This record gives sequence, C-alpha cells and structure tokens, in this order.
Amino acid sequence: MEEVRHQFRETLKELEQATLGGLDLVTQQLDRALESLSYQDVELAGMVVADDDRIDGRYLEVHQGILSLLARQAPVAGDLRIVAALLHVLRCIERMGDQCVNIAKLVPLSGYEPPKDKDILDLIERMGQLARSQVADAKEAFATRDTDLARDLLRQDSEINRLNRAIFRRAVEVGDNLEMREWAMFMILVARCLERIGDNTVDIAEQVVFVVTGLFREFAEASAPSETAPAS
Amino acid sequence: MSTTTLPQVSARRRRTDKLMRALLAVATGIALVPLILIIYYLLHKGLSEWTSGGFFTTDPNGNFFGNPGGVRSAIFGTLEIVGLASAIAIPLGIGVALFLTEYGKDTWYASVIRYFVDVMTGVPSIMFGLFIYIVLVISHAGGSGFAGWKGAIAISLLMLPIVIRSSEVVLLLVPSSLREAALALGAPRWQVIRRVVLPTATPGLVTGSLLAVARGMGETAPLLFTVSIAFALTGNLNAQMNTLPFQIFNDITSPRTEVVNRAWGAALTLVALVLILNLVARAIARRSRLA
Amino acid sequence: MIPPETKITEQNQMPTAGTPAGKARTEARPAPTTRGHSIEIKGLNAYYGQLHAIKDLDIVFPPNEATALIGPSGSGKSTVVRCINRLHEEIPGARATGSVKLDETELYGTGIDVTAVRRAIGMVFQKPNPFPTMSIFDNVAAGLRLTGTKLHELRERVHDSLRSVGLWEEVKDRLNEPGIGLSGGQQQRLCIARTIAIEPEVVLMDEPASALDPVSTLKIEELVDELKSRYTIVIVTHNMQQAARVADSTAFLLEGELIEHGPTNEIFTKPRDERTERYVTGKFG
Repeated sequence: MEEVRHQFRETLKELEQATLGGLDLVTQQLDRALESLSYQDVELAGMVVADDDRIDGRYLEVHQGILSLLARQAPVAGDLRIVAALLHVLRCIERMGDQCVNIAKLVPLSGYEPPKDKDILDLIERMGQLARSQVADAKEAFATRDTDLARDLLRQDSEINRLNRAIFRRAVEVGDNLEMREWAMFMILVARCLERIGDNTVDIAEQVVFVVTGLFREFAEASAPSETAPAS
Repeated sequence: MSTTTLPQVSARRRRTDKLMRALLAVATGIALVPLILIIYYLLHKGLSEWTSGGFFTTDPNGNFFGNPGGVRSAIFGTLEIVGLASAIAIPLGIGVALFLTEYGKDTWYASVIRYFVDVMTGVPSIMFGLFIYIVLVISHAGGSGFAGWKGAIAISLLMLPIVIRSSEVVLLLVPSSLREAALALGAPRWQVIRRVVLPTATPGLVTGSLLAVARGMGETAPLLFTVSIAFALTGNLNAQMNTLPFQIFNDITSPRTEVVNRAWGAALTLVALVLILNLVARAIARRSRLA
Repeated sequence: MIPPETKITEQNQMPTAGTPAGKARTEARPAPTTRGHSIEIKGLNAYYGQLHAIKDLDIVFPPNEATALIGPSGSGKSTVVRCINRLHEEIPGARATGSVKLDETELYGTGIDVTAVRRAIGMVFQKPNPFPTMSIFDNVAAGLRLTGTKLHELRERVHDSLRSVGLWEEVKDRLNEPGIGLSGGQQQRLCIARTIAIEPEVVLMDEPASALDPVSTLKIEELVDELKSRYTIVIVTHNMQQAARVADSTAFLLEGELIEHGPTNEIFTKPRDERTERYVTGKFG
C-alpha cells in the first residue's frame, strides 16, 4: 500500500530537498562573504551580491511547488506540518541570504587596508564559524527530524549572541582610535548580520520541533518545555 | 504516425454467418406457420359468426332444429366464474407473495412454500378439477352438484401459483432502499408494505394478475368436473352455468354445421378476451416503466 | 501556530475550497435553537451472523455538533450508525449488543418501541431514495402522515421543511409532481427534508453526498452546517476532505474498532495515533 499517493510523496520529498538545498546555498554564500571580508576581495563580494538571485530563485521555485501541492493534494496531519514548516524555512533561507549580501556590501565600504583590531578579527572569525556550523546543524536537524539537535541550536546561538555583544564592547573600546573607528563600526554591522543569521537558524530549529510534535513553542533562553508528541 | 490495420472478416466466417441466419429464419418460419394458420382459421370461421345476428345477444338453446342461438350465457358465465376465481386467487396470491418477501425472507419455511408453489405451477389443470370434483361436487357441498362457484375455486387454485410467483418477482424488484427509508422514518412493517411497497409494486402486480386471469379464462378441464354446462343465462353461481370453453367443447362435436360454426365464433371470442387482457397488462407495464 | 514575525501575505495563504462552512466554524456560532441531544454508546458489539463487525465501541456524540466517522471500507462506520437507529437488526442474521443512549433513554432497553426510536433518530442514505409513487409534497409528508399529523399542520411543516433544506424556491410551484423527477442533488435534499419534517432529535447521514456531483455535495455540506443548530448530526463519510470541512469532531474507525476521536482540527493536523496519521495522509486507503 506504499504505492498509494506515490506521486505526492515524491513531490513532497523533492520540495523538502530543494528547501534544504537552499541552506547549502546559504552556507556557500556565507563562506564567500566571510572570505571576501577577510581578504578585502571586492570582486568576490560582488559575486556574493549577484548570486543572491540564486537563493531568490530557489525561494520562488519551491514556493510555487508548495502552492501547487497544497492545491492539488490537500496534505493533512504530518504532511501538512512539513509543508507549513517548509514555507517558514524558505523565508529564513531568503533572509539569511540577504544577510550574506549585507556582509558582502560592507566589504568595499570598510576601506582599503585600514588598521584592524586583532581581537575584533578573532571574534568575527569565531562568529563566522559558529554561524556556519549553525546553518549546517539546522539543515541536519530538519533533514533527520532531530529535536535534540534542534534544541542544541539554541545553546549555540546564545554563544553567537555573546560574541556579538563582545564585539560591540570592543568596538567601543577602540573607538578612541580615530583611524580604526570607522572600520570598527563596520565590523559591528557585520556582527549584527551574523547574529541575524544565527537567529534564523533558531527559527528553523523551532520548525523542526513543530514538525515532530505539532506544537509551536518559541525557544526561550530557559530549557524548552517537553511536549507529548503526536504520531509521525 | 502509424495506422493500425484490423484484420478483415474471413470469407468463411461470412458464409457461416449467412448460413446460420438462414437456418434461424427457417426455424422461425416453421414455428410461426401453425400460429398463423390458427389465427387465420379463427378469423375465417369465427368472424362471420360474430357478424351474424344474435351471436352476442342470445343464449344457446340446445334445440336440434332451427336457430341454435348465440353464446351470451357462455360469455357471462366465463366472466362470472373467472371473476370469482380472480377475487379469490389474486388477494390470496399477493398475500402469500408478501409473506414470502417481507416477513419470511431467508427462512426455511419460505423455501418450502416456494417449492410447493413451483410444484403447483406444473400440475395439470385437470387435477384441480378432479380435486374439487371429489371434495365439493360429489359431496354436494353447498347443496348442489356441479356449480359455478366450485368451478371458480378450481380455477383460482390454478391461478394461485401464477399470481404468487409473479407477485413475488415484482415485490423483490422493489428496491430495499425504499423499505429502509420508510423504516428509518419510524414506520411499522405493515405500514411500510401498505404505503411504500405495494404502491410501488402495483403496476407489476396488476400485470402479473392479469396474465393469471387470462390463463384462467381459457382453461377447460377444471370446468369439466365442476361446473358442467347449462344453456340458460344465469347469475346463480350455486348451479351449473355456461362457459366459453365448455361451450366450445360441446359445440365442436355437433353434427350441425351452424353449431360448429358457433364454436368457432366462441373460440374467437375467447381468444379476443385473452388478447385484450394481455394488451391491457402490457399497456400498464409500459406506463409504469415510463413513470 | 503562526510565529509572531510572519505576516500573512498573498503568497503563503492556503487556498481553500471556498465553502462558507469552514469560515462559519471559526466564527462565533449562534446558540442552538433547540436544546441539544446527545448519543452515548457503550460497549457496542455488532454482528452479521458470525462476522464481528463492531468491537466494544465506546463513543459519545455531543449535542448540536456534527461528528464525522471516517475509516476504510469495512471498518464498520455504516454499521455503527445503523445500530444507533436500530436499523441494523432488520438485516436477517444481524444483531447488536451493548448500550446506546439517547440522552438518558437506553434505546436497546426492554420494552422500547423500535419505531419510536426511529422517529427520534432520522437517517439519510447514500443513494437518494424518494418514494417513487409519491409527489414532492407527499414525500416530505410521508413521515408526518405516519404519526397521524393533521392536514393543516401538515402543510405548514412540509413547507418549513422544504425551506430548511433550501428546496422551497426550486419546487414551490410543483409540489404535486413526482419526487423522482428531481435531479440527484435535489432528491437528496428532498430526502433530508423528509427526515427533518418529523423533527427528530438526531440526524444520521450515511455518506449523504457520495452519489452526488461536486456542487450538490457542497450544498449538502452547507446544509449540514445549518442543521447543526437544531440537531445533533453523525455523518459517515469516506471523503476525508468532506469530514474536514463539515465536522466539529471526527472519529476514526478501523476494522470495527475506534482508533481515535477528537476535534477535527487535531485529527487533520496532529493526530495522536500512528494509524490515524497513516490513514489520513493516504498511506493506506
């Protein structure tokens, strides 16, 4: 009886894979954006901005596919939750792509060979790595429906938030250095973008829990409450 | 784009087809010939009787000489006896059919009853006559020997299985969804029958009954032993009466040609009556199908 | 369920089938016009000869609500409703044991008049079955005549009934025409009018729309939604979308057992039982 609704299952799987593939695109963009930042590579930054079209394209394509699936197949229960979650995840992907573009746009602005603060650079690098791993974990958690990994993302994100605050404080400290001040301000903006990316991965994690349990809970800083899981 | 060519019919098949068709036509012809001959004879010999004066208006008078009379009393007798037989057989038969379909479905006794009814349809009609003869005629029940009402009973026994079987078929055709709908409204079973099943089945019941009547009209053998014959027009069912079949039976062996001709006229009358009943039954059946 | 940031834009709004029934359910429902009646079933077992069709069923149908019974063929959903109005026992060889209560009255109690049970619990069947020998008026009046309603009251109740099912405008000028002259959808509404003319307390519907075209189906569903305020409705359906549109709560039966019973919303967004999930998403039919 697994052959029943074969077409529907196939389509749903494809849509999910396309959506998660979007996360791969985000990872790619993030890598390139951070690289262009550390090497002051304006050309690379330009590519990141241009390639955002790919993410937008992916968004529209999957979105259309989901609308079509809803209209024609009327998914319910677990399938419906997956579809609703995919829509949400798509939005997150699009926003993360936009944040990568924001980072890339800051590259030419931060000037040629400005004096840089090593602490801030380290922090930015750590934030970048964390963001990258969070995106990868978000993808993994969704693909495997791993609610424990999803909850762990909250913990990772609190780390990113901490780094963000640290960068801000450091930037304030080096603010007295007139030559460095402008660069430091730009780094604050970069940190902000990375923090936003982290928030989006937490959103995705919330969706993982929703798909599995059918309940939507905003992840608070405190431990997530345990829910009775429905079937699927 | 490729076109599909279907194989042609072989010449051998065409020949076989033609041969079979010809054979069947011949068989039909052979079967129809006697029928046509009967109708021809009836019309040829009987129509002139019909138009001769007094055929329908006078009774046969049994005189050896002179005008032998018409068949008025025979017609009336037939109508009276078959009328009484129908009054007995039709309600009874429909009642039994109702019992079999509504109350006794799938029970062992219903199957037994059905079996006996089937047997009855095969019993030769003379048996019914003999049975009534022994039970009612010899014993002079009702104060008479041969009597019209006894003949009516014999004929009703003959009609009964026909009415039962045809009614049962019709009642079974009433969709059970209608019965369910009536039950679901809170109707007791007899109301379901009265207000839904019977009205719906009525055209079919009428058709079946009319065909049984047509059959009853033409039976001679039962009348032989129960009614015998009388020439005068009478309404007294407790005595001998005249009937068309008996009249024919009586007349056909007469040495007088006028009497024999009268028999043909009576035969045509009987056939006409049966034909009319059949046509009426068909008309009702067709009308109900259109409704 | 919607996270605070997301705005509902044109893009991600779900297309609906457009039935007002769905909207009506989320708006505040007007208070029932008659006091509702509930059906409570306990320990129901039903048999067709040796076949054990319903196994120890416990279920409650709340007043003035529509409850849908879903499940694959042979799961026993039609049998359940036929046990409620005691039509099940009319089938030769069939019997039922257990308790079925209409409010406080035990319907299977000793001395209970079966026809009275059926007058209190109406039924609409899958295939529209108006009485062929009766006119439209007589069809609707059929149930009323059985209880000996007087003529003047009869007319009024027949007209009211026809209005309730939305047939009045279509047939008011031809009440004496035969009932079977109507279209399929109209015939079914006629049968519903016939059922509610006697003012039952509960209305059972055994796949009422499965023999009808889509437009008639939606009309019937709207009708069910309106009738909820006056009657308690139990509707058997193999069309899950219909159950989702029409019913306040849904019960899933499988092989004669009740697997899950809950608000329709939950059954179709997060069912609790694995089997419900599989049936509802079409993993088995």
